Amino acid sequence: MPLLEIRHLSKYFGGLAANADVSFSLERGSILGLIGPNGAGKTTLFNCIAGFHPPDRGEIRFRGTRLNGLPPDRICRLGLVRTWQKVRPLARLTVLDNVIVGALSRTRRLRAAREEALEQLRVVGLLDRSTVLAGALPIGERKKLEVARALATRPELVLLDEVMGGLNPAETDEMVRLLLSLRTAGLSQMIIEHDMKAIMRLSDRVVVLSSGEKLCEGTPEQVAQDPEVVAAYLGEEP
Amino acid sequence: MTLFLQAALSGVLVGGVYALIGIGLTLIFGVMRVINFAHGELVMLGMYATWVLFSHFGWDPFLSVVVVGPLLFLWGALLGSTVIDRVLGALPQNQILLTIGLGLVMSNAVMLGFTSDYRILTTSYSSSSFELAGVFVSRPLLYGFLVTVAITVALYLFLLRTDAGQAIRAMAQDREAAQLMGIPVRRLSILAFGLGSALAGAAGALIAPTYYIYPQVGGAFTLKAFVIVVLGGMGSVVGATLGGILIGLTESLAAVYVASGLKELVVFALFLLLLLVKPSGLLGRTRA
Amino acid sequence: MTTLPSPDAPPAPGHPTLRRALPFAPAAALVLFLTAFPALQSKPYPLHMGVILFLAVLQGSAWNLIGGYGGQYSIGHAAYFGVGAYAAVLLLVRLGLAPWFGLGLAMVAAAGVAAVVGSITFRLRGPYFVLASIAAAEILRLGALYFRNFTNGAEGFVVAEVPALHLFGLSFEFAGKLPFYFLTLALAVAAVALSRAVLRSRLGYALLAIRDDQDAAQSLGIDVPRAKNVALALSAALTGAAGAVFAGFTRFVDPNTVFSLTDVSIEMALICILGGAGTVEGPVIGALLLVPLKEVLRNPRGLVTLGLFPPGSSLVGFVQHHLSNAHQLVYGLLLVVLVLFAPDGLSGLARRLVARRRSASPAAASP
Repeated sequence: MPLLEIRHLSKYFGGLAANADVSFSLERGSILGLIGPNGAGKTTLFNCIAGFHPPDRGEIRFRGTRLNGLPPDRICRLGLVRTWQKVRPLARLTVLDNVIVGALSRTRRLRAAREEALEQLRVVGLLDRSTVLAGALPIGERKKLEVARALATRPELVLLDEVMGGLNPAETDEMVRLLLSLRTAGLSQMIIEHDMKAIMRLSDRVVVLSSGEKLCEGTPEQVAQDPEVVAAYLGEEP
Repeated sequence: MTLFLQAALSGVLVGGVYALIGIGLTLIFGVMRVINFAHGELVMLGMYATWVLFSHFGWDPFLSVVVVGPLLFLWGALLGSTVIDRVLGALPQNQILLTIGLGLVMSNAVMLGFTSDYRILTTSYSSSSFELAGVFVSRPLLYGFLVTVAITVALYLFLLRTDAGQAIRAMAQDREAAQLMGIPVRRLSILAFGLGSALAGAAGALIAPTYYIYPQVGGAFTLKAFVIVVLGGMGSVVGATLGGILIGLTESLAAVYVASGLKELVVFALFLLLLLVKPSGLLGRTRA
Repeated sequence: MTTLPSPDAPPAPGHPTLRRALPFAPAAALVLFLTAFPALQSKPYPLHMGVILFLAVLQGSAWNLIGGYGGQYSIGHAAYFGVGAYAAVLLLVRLGLAPWFGLGLAMVAAAGVAAVVGSITFRLRGPYFVLASIAAAEILRLGALYFRNFTNGAEGFVVAEVPALHLFGLSFEFAGKLPFYFLTLALAVAAVALSRAVLRSRLGYALLAIRDDQDAAQSLGIDVPRAKNVALALSAALTGAAGAVFAGFTRFVDPNTVFSLTDVSIEMALICILGGAGTVEGPVIGALLLVPLKEVLRNPRGLVTLGLFPPGSSLVGFVQHHLSNAHQLVYGLLLVVLVLFAPDGLSGLARRLVARRRSASPAAASP
């Protein structure tokens, strides 16, 4: 059984279909890339999956459990966590405390949460910044913090929304290697990304959205050569 | 039936003035995104200004609107350009605290200057009314309503026909886009605050003949203004107009059919209900 | 590759973190001094001021739980204060219920009201939440004014005497200032201790996360409504306790006093924000500043009673003549100044100054 199944998902805002009849699934232990021009409905899809908008039609199943209508915190405790396109650090808390917040979803004991948080900070490479206020971090470190915080919730699936946006090439490379190592450790991921090279390197499969609909799906190579996909991106900045 | 019509009529007449207060508040919020908890105090200042003009110079309150309005406009523009300007980007909680503080300063400054004695503004026609189809219409309420209509029409013309008015509406719709279009956002924000204050002051002038005037009277108006604005939708002038009338009506009917001492409580209870059920109001679009 | 810091390593200098709470030794010394104070001097006025001060610390700390930690700026806490006051008085007057039980039931009643108010207001955000909290308190105030058969309306209740409490064969009289002094001191210490405990707990983390970004908090598994409701219940219970004790101490309740928007709701929030919302010491600092300020404006002759100013002092005369009851004006000015220049309160201001001085010194080490 796939880890995540999206079946005929539709979401309307006013009269506009932000997502229209989208269906695909994600296998355990894999990385799925979600791409498409701006406004294609990618973040809306994430919001539906993570419980911030209930879908208007269709179904989302995670490990067999129906997610429709569950609150976001329940979904997190089930093992599905998301990061945010515009990073949302808890600005007045330290880096360490930010990650402790995530860890506390899994343990009640502060000490254990602290140790888990320190470990995740080590994994993403932010350990030496642990006592800095999150609001004072530059964008690259904020992205890492977002990832560390999500990892501290011990997810099976993490939805990463443009986690490489605003990063320089060195930082992007670091992030790609981090995500690949996480996959090796067994973490499934769905990644929204505009950086095509990163998508190629990371994804086992790619789903393309355009104007709310699923355009096509396949391996990165297949998708890159699909003429419809190319056409959808014409007029988009590379 | 007459009782109902009577209550409904006075409710609508008072509601017109409430609408003025609400429109002022919604303009301020729509344009500046500032929650002005001192709005009732601006009404109170209008009431006192009117009272001073009446008791010292014998000016009729409905005529002194012409002076009180602009006076409060200047005061609002001053507040807007100095204090309010500095919290435009601050957390909403801080904006609220700031304007609560301003309200306290205004009401207590007036108390120090005028003492907390209740003042009454009685004109020759304060208690007179005339009969219309079996229903008694209070003269001051009617005059107040007519002036309100005039002001509201003028305001609508301003918003629809003038450049500044259209710019304000653009800002209320989408502040960033307006800024990118070259609209002088800061200057118009100050204008909006001044305008909102002027409307509040004018409302104060219009109700001065029918309310007790005392420094703390602003508080109830602020809360009521917010009920009106939430009802009509934050930022919607039309909504505030309708909301004002509706609240005036509700209060008046509650006074008759529930109990006079409970009329405000009914309004606040309905407010909580509204916040639960449809916080974006009847016509609004901002999410709660 | 940096080494893992030991779990108990102190925070880097100058960085405000959760672990920097009220340092224990000075606080303990202060409490000891305050406990011994009545033995040092027994004039009633300083004891009276002590009670007012401790009640302010209690209320500020109570508000801090939901407003400071949780970022939910309720300006309607008078609802819980008033419910606590009326509950205690009504139980006393109608059922002859002695203070401890009255106090406990007052706290329960306040928490009950909080459950109702919370269920309505916590679905709302930002300004809508503030408005709803004010509306809720106003509904209670207007209701108390109107339903005269139950509450005596605007006349309120006068408490002739608070009956003695018989506990373990001992009898505590509630006459005079002294019993209330110790009671309120104990409550204030308990409230501060509770604040500290919450800050370092799972609930504390949840609240701070909600304060900074509610959606992000929820996406990390925090049950937001539950956290808010628990914090509000605690906050309301403490506030209700303050109301109950206040009623017993002043021997009088009426709706416009105990449900007052300015003198209760705004004052509680101001005490906390002035000192520094979200910190343990904030409410204490705020109370230490606000209570004397309010009292001097209300009763400048008190300065003479305390022996701080000579009887004919022109300063005292000036304040009495021109500034009596100007405390609300001062509240307003303080709010404006705070928001414009020191939104973190005095505690935050102090931390920033300390941090600036430390980073300026050549011996400062950064991690």
